[in-house]
Amino acid sequence: MQKEAAIREPLILGDKSYKDITDDVVGPIEGKAPKAWKLMITITSIIAFYGVGCITYLIATGIGVWGLNKTVGWAWDITNFVWWVGIGHAGTLISAVLLLFRQKWRMAINRSAEAMTIFAVIMAAVFPGIHMGRLWVSYWVLPLPNQFGSLWVNFNSPLLWDVFAISTYFSVSLVFWYIGLIPDFATIRDRMVKPLPKKIYAFLSFGWSGRAKNWTRFEEVSLVLAGIATPLVFSVHSIVSMDFATSVIPGWHTTIFPPYFVSGAVFSGFAMVLTLLLIMRKTMNLENYIHVRHVEYMNIVIIVTGSIVGVAYLTELFISWYSGVEYKSYAFINRFSGPYSWAYWIMMTCNVITPQLFWFRKIRRNLLATFVLSIIVNIGMWFERYVIIVTSIHRDYDPSSWGEFHATFIDIGIFIGTIGIFGTLFLLFARFFPVLALNELKSILKSSGENYKKLHHKDH
Amino acid sequence: MGNTKRYWSGLEELKETNDYKTTLENEFPEEQTVDAFLADEKLKDVNTGRRDFLKFMGFSITAATLAACETPVVKSIPYVNKPEEITPGVANYYASTYYDGNDYANVLVKTREGRPIFIKPNRALGASGELNPRINSSVLGLYDAARVEGPTKGGQAIDWASADDEIMKALAAAQNPVILSNTVLSPSKQRAIDMFKAKYNAGHVQYDSISYSGLREAHKAAMGKAIIPSFHFDKAKVVVSIAADFQGSWLQSNVFSADFAKTRVPEGKWMSKHFQFESNLSLSGTNADVRTMIKPSQEGKVAAALYEIITGAGAGAVEGINNNAVAAAAQMLKASRGEGIVVAGSNDPNIQMIVVEINKALGNYGATINADRPINLFQGNDANFAGFVESMNQGAVDFLIIDGVNPSYSYIDGAAFDAGLAKVKTSVATSLYADETASKATYITPDHHALESWNDLAMTNDRVDLVQPTISPLFNSRAAGESILKWSGVETDYYTFLRQTYNPAYTAADMYTDAAWNEAVQNGYKPNNASVGVDTVEQEEALPTGGMNISAALSAVKAIKGGQVELAIYQKVGMGDGSQAGNPWLHEFPDPVTKVCWDNYVTMSRVDMEAMGLEMEVSQNVHPNVVNVTVNGKTVSLPAIMQPGQTPGTIGIALGYGRGANGENIGKAAFQTAENGTHITKEDGSLVPIGANAAPLASMKNGAVVYAALDVTVEATAEHYPVAATQMHHTYMGRESVVKETTFGAFKAEAGKKKGEASWNKMPALVVHEDLNGDGEINAQDKKYTKEIDLWKEHPVEGVGHRWGMTIDLTACTGCGSCVTACHIENNVPVVGKDEVLRHRDMHWMRIDRFYSSDWSLERGEEEGVGTIESYTRMEHPSDAPQTVHMPMMCQHCNHAPCETVCPVAATTHSNEGLNQMTYNRCIGTRYCANNCPYKVRRFNWFNYQGYKKFQNTNPSQDTLARMVLNPDVTVRSRGVMEKCSMCVQRIQGGKLEAKVAGTPVQDGAIQTACAEACANGAITFGDLNDTKSTVQSISKNNRAYHALEEIGVQPNIFYMAKVRNTEENEA
Repeated sequence: MQKEAAIREPLILGDKSYKDITDDVVGPIEGKAPKAWKLMITITSIIAFYGVGCITYLIATGIGVWGLNKTVGWAWDITNFVWWVGIGHAGTLISAVLLLFRQKWRMAINRSAEAMTIFAVIMAAVFPGIHMGRLWVSYWVLPLPNQFGSLWVNFNSPLLWDVFAISTYFSVSLVFWYIGLIPDFATIRDRMVKPLPKKIYAFLSFGWSGRAKNWTRFEEVSLVLAGIATPLVFSVHSIVSMDFATSVIPGWHTTIFPPYFVSGAVFSGFAMVLTLLLIMRKTMNLENYIHVRHVEYMNIVIIVTGSIVGVAYLTELFISWYSGVEYKSYAFINRFSGPYSWAYWIMMTCNVITPQLFWFRKIRRNLLATFVLSIIVNIGMWFERYVIIVTSIHRDYDPSSWGEFHATFIDIGIFIGTIGIFGTLFLLFARFFPVLALNELKSILKSSGENYKKLHHKDH
Repeated sequence: MGNTKRYWSGLEELKETNDYKTTLENEFPEEQTVDAFLADEKLKDVNTGRRDFLKFMGFSITAATLAACETPVVKSIPYVNKPEEITPGVANYYASTYYDGNDYANVLVKTREGRPIFIKPNRALGASGELNPRINSSVLGLYDAARVEGPTKGGQAIDWASADDEIMKALAAAQNPVILSNTVLSPSKQRAIDMFKAKYNAGHVQYDSISYSGLREAHKAAMGKAIIPSFHFDKAKVVVSIAADFQGSWLQSNVFSADFAKTRVPEGKWMSKHFQFESNLSLSGTNADVRTMIKPSQEGKVAAALYEIITGAGAGAVEGINNNAVAAAAQMLKASRGEGIVVAGSNDPNIQMIVVEINKALGNYGATINADRPINLFQGNDANFAGFVESMNQGAVDFLIIDGVNPSYSYIDGAAFDAGLAKVKTSVATSLYADETASKATYITPDHHALESWNDLAMTNDRVDLVQPTISPLFNSRAAGESILKWSGVETDYYTFLRQTYNPAYTAADMYTDAAWNEAVQNGYKPNNASVGVDTVEQEEALPTGGMNISAALSAVKAIKGGQVELAIYQKVGMGDGSQAGNPWLHEFPDPVTKVCWDNYVTMSRVDMEAMGLEMEVSQNVHPNVVNVTVNGKTVSLPAIMQPGQTPGTIGIALGYGRGANGENIGKAAFQTAENGTHITKEDGSLVPIGANAAPLASMKNGAVVYAALDVTVEATAEHYPVAATQMHHTYMGRESVVKETTFGAFKAEAGKKKGEASWNKMPALVVHEDLNGDGEINAQDKKYTKEIDLWKEHPVEGVGHRWGMTIDLTACTGCGSCVTACHIENNVPVVGKDEVLRHRDMHWMRIDRFYSSDWSLERGEEEGVGTIESYTRMEHPSDAPQTVHMPMMCQHCNHAPCETVCPVAATTHSNEGLNQMTYNRCIGTRYCANNCPYKVRRFNWFNYQGYKKFQNTNPSQDTLARMVLNPDVTVRSRGVMEKCSMCVQRIQGGKLEAKVAGTPVQDGAIQTACAEACANGAITFGDLNDTKSTVQSISKNNRAYHALEEIGVQPNIFYMAKVRNTEENEA
């Protein structure tokens, strides 16, 4: 069994036994839904239905129900897409990259972070779909054999790369997440007394028997998937950034984009994980598993990635001046002083300035401050994408076509709606799925559990 | 005996082997009898339960129901006997003539399968064959469902026989019948009117919606003949225009603009110089070399000062005007005697008289102005008409035929006309619409649309232009001339009558045998043998002579006093006199100067707006203030927009708006629509017109209608009104790779330089890490032209097959917009209506970018120590007295198109003829191509414009009749796909087919895009860049040629030619 230095802060607090962990995680699934959960899912479902209504209206009527125009061909749609994909980065990063780096603290958060990833990627995938003028032929982006004189897709197009990147990322993340769930489903199955849920969980656990052979295979698959998923964490957002970087539009055409986007994605993903976990640990009484130490680790990731993003912003500004390109330098002057400068300064404040507060240990370890800042970061990251997309194209090369973008109710409704759908999915997850990787947690109980650490300490 | 012969298919059958028997049994199993079937024990196990029965029944009923639903069957019926001249899919062109009382042009009408769908210039007749947006858009009027479908009486349908009967009875009883018409140019119609007059001792009054009677009056006083001479702008080295928009709306603007363009070639021996004195920024003003802002009250003073300097007759300086500017113009005029033209837009006879005298003094008559070939347009006489209205009001007119005019709307005192009309016992209008005037008439006996009728028009006395029908009348209409004949008791159809004008012995038997006539119809004109003509004598006599003389005129104009705010009333290039107010193409057509669509407005200077605290921005969410403009107690309320170049202390309002103010049915598109596309209604449910009528603000002065008001009050209101413009940003921000311009002097100095080297057309070069200049060092001197630097493989189009391209000369382009409407019509471009334009979603494939100069630049900022950021902000503001550039912009057909690489489904690709082609069927609508287009020329179908309710009142394709105008060669795009300029690929393919059939290579000039064809100024040239003999190739090698935004390296197939102004640096 692995040993851990006694001076390291414990990862599991309190006097927990294996059974306690199982009870803490599976208990809420077996019990009745609490009132708070019912209230929350009612709210999110209403929002989700509103969003679905807006999407239906959009598809029935045309893209014109959005505020887009001849100059600004993308705005909230692609902003939301990139925002959601970015959020979808944390899960896989936590489970894959941190697994490879043997960061044990990930075990308390990886399950819900992965769930968040899956749901965020689903939300992200909504936008490239509905932003198309003709959704009903969207399958043409897939290189399928066809009878249109065997018409092939355009492999030069970054939008096509997107299709591959997102679908690969989604499938791998889903598989990874599900593999992790199997032993935990089996635990629930074993405890379940009601016949129907028992049947369902039995099905979901794929006949897991808990034998040593099962466990070795499980570990092997996890490692292999982690190996596959790790490059994906970096490739997805690199490719998303190429939607912009390969264009000719000043403000988009920037080689710095792939690393800048990836760190931005991790930044926003961790912020979203924090937002969700801080609510979840409170409402589901998981304070002993997800505690200040975890939050602090994540805040450190946020400050690192946030600072990378900040450096990227400043580099962009510098290069726009240093390049001597009239259009590029104007694009950036326009960003911070033009009609959309308010968005730029919201972005700067939320992404670069406020996260620096995490340098203070007190703030870093303050849960309320973290909660507030995590929301601010996600607001900032939404604006980052908005700034990149809208302020670059609303004034590009030909001043005669310079224009504006004004969001409509449908633009806003669909965005809010996806938050509602996401929330609903996450609440369903929290209700019916093991929100912590309980079997994995058990593996560190005796090395990182508070009680065991104390015992261990006394031995010396 | 039966045939017992048997044939075997094989030995197996003959031998009847066991294998064979089993095979046979399996192939044809023995049929089971019904009894055997029913006796089958297993059958008992099979049951059809109640549920199954319901399922089967449900399925059967559903299937039967579905089968009963039929999709509507649209039958296409083939010709039983194919007409000789119609081949489905092949267009026919017919020579005809357009005349609506205001515009006149010789045209070719394109018909497809018998439907006229396009009007193009008839250049065989010279400049009079040139079009403007109003003329080429007029084809839609033919298919207007708002047209009166047959004779009506008091709004109720009536048949022709009883209408004629009743009208003739009324005529027989009439004491004083009068025909009120627009200027009659048709000798045949004149003959019919003369017969009518003779029979009933009737009067004939001619009335023009836009009056030029001052011009005739001045000529009568100064030259003894009440003529409008012909102007030859192609011969003019100096043009001084005092508020005459001769390129946009004044007199024969289509002819003048085309003629004048011939003098605007920098490569020629000389280039004309154009001075413009005006208060509103007119189209001509935007193209002037030197523009001086004056007030309407100063127009006469400028003329007077010019006169005095040129003749040396007076002080040479007049109080209250910019005498230096006048002196500069006068010096140029004096230096080119007989080679200049002075024109004035005012209808004040005194001002026109001074101008006539100036031209006389300069010897321009007989040189640039031809008084011996007067034009017959605009014979209306304001004093005469005013007298007629007076007599109507006195009850002196008891029968009135109203033909081709709408004075209730267009007359300055429409109310007086209405009051008079109410006193006329019987009135008959031959209008196509139940418009403001016709709806008040007793009868409407609708005339044919021009495209349905025969006519002859003598615009000048030496030629008769013919109008020929291109389609059978769509409605139960009758030629107005025929109606007049009928009521005169002559039972001749108008065609026969028209032929008899030229051949009195004509009978129906001669219909096809007169070779000279056939040729004339084919050509669209015939020389006039001087035996026919229109009667100008009557008009001439009616003009007051009033002892006008030059000294009186001079002192009169000098005495004109202006008020605090003065109003100049003008015609917009799109709307003209408003006769086509129901035409959505013209409403959607952005005004060439303001770029505003669908509205009328007050133009004001920045200074005045600031003083009044009015909103100066026009955008989607910032709406201008509505102001009340009051003249002599008459008030109109319109939004006020900031117009650079507007003289402070003056405002401008266009005519032609506010049509259908009482809800007259003049077309769906003539009324305001709400955001959801339905008509906005007033409290009483009537429709709200677009804009307001400015005609009542004009006034009578010295017996002529003067389109100005010298004392106007403007008051701001709290109300805001959205104004939709296609262009929101007005300067080019110092981006010289978009617009290149220079002065004539600077051009001359470097005219011999190689392309790309002159200071006014430097080809962009990039520093490369390569010792290009061989100085042993790699440094900033090592530059390579961007066109030589490439990320992509060359498209194999250079030197291989065709490579279609275009050159656009910014010097020749006046921004008139004929190309915009031509493209709109040719390519079935959707009309989207005001709300969508407001949302910046206009669909024009061809747009004209209008840039004003700014007083600020980065260089000036550096000199004056103003930072870059602040400088950019200041550069956004146009100068108060700007220079203007018009830049036609459409898909540049880049050889390395950024749109092509980003489409995920390869819906936009490069053709092997250099075209960037859009495959609508393949497009999924990601819009990445549009985002990635540096020129922003791609247009997305945001809605289903052909069906969505938002466009029900604006888009012609939603109207079963108006839909007929769509070009069958061009796909109507569905929602969700991208579209853009295709370089009229349908015409290219057609031209190639024709050449193939003829067995020759495609001849240069044989294929014309709609825009190149429509351009009166020759600014656009289309052709094959690979054809070494093509015009387009030689122009593209000219040293003025450049690519817009060349440094991006997208390698367009469109070349622009740098703009050259005949300006000295200090004049600007």
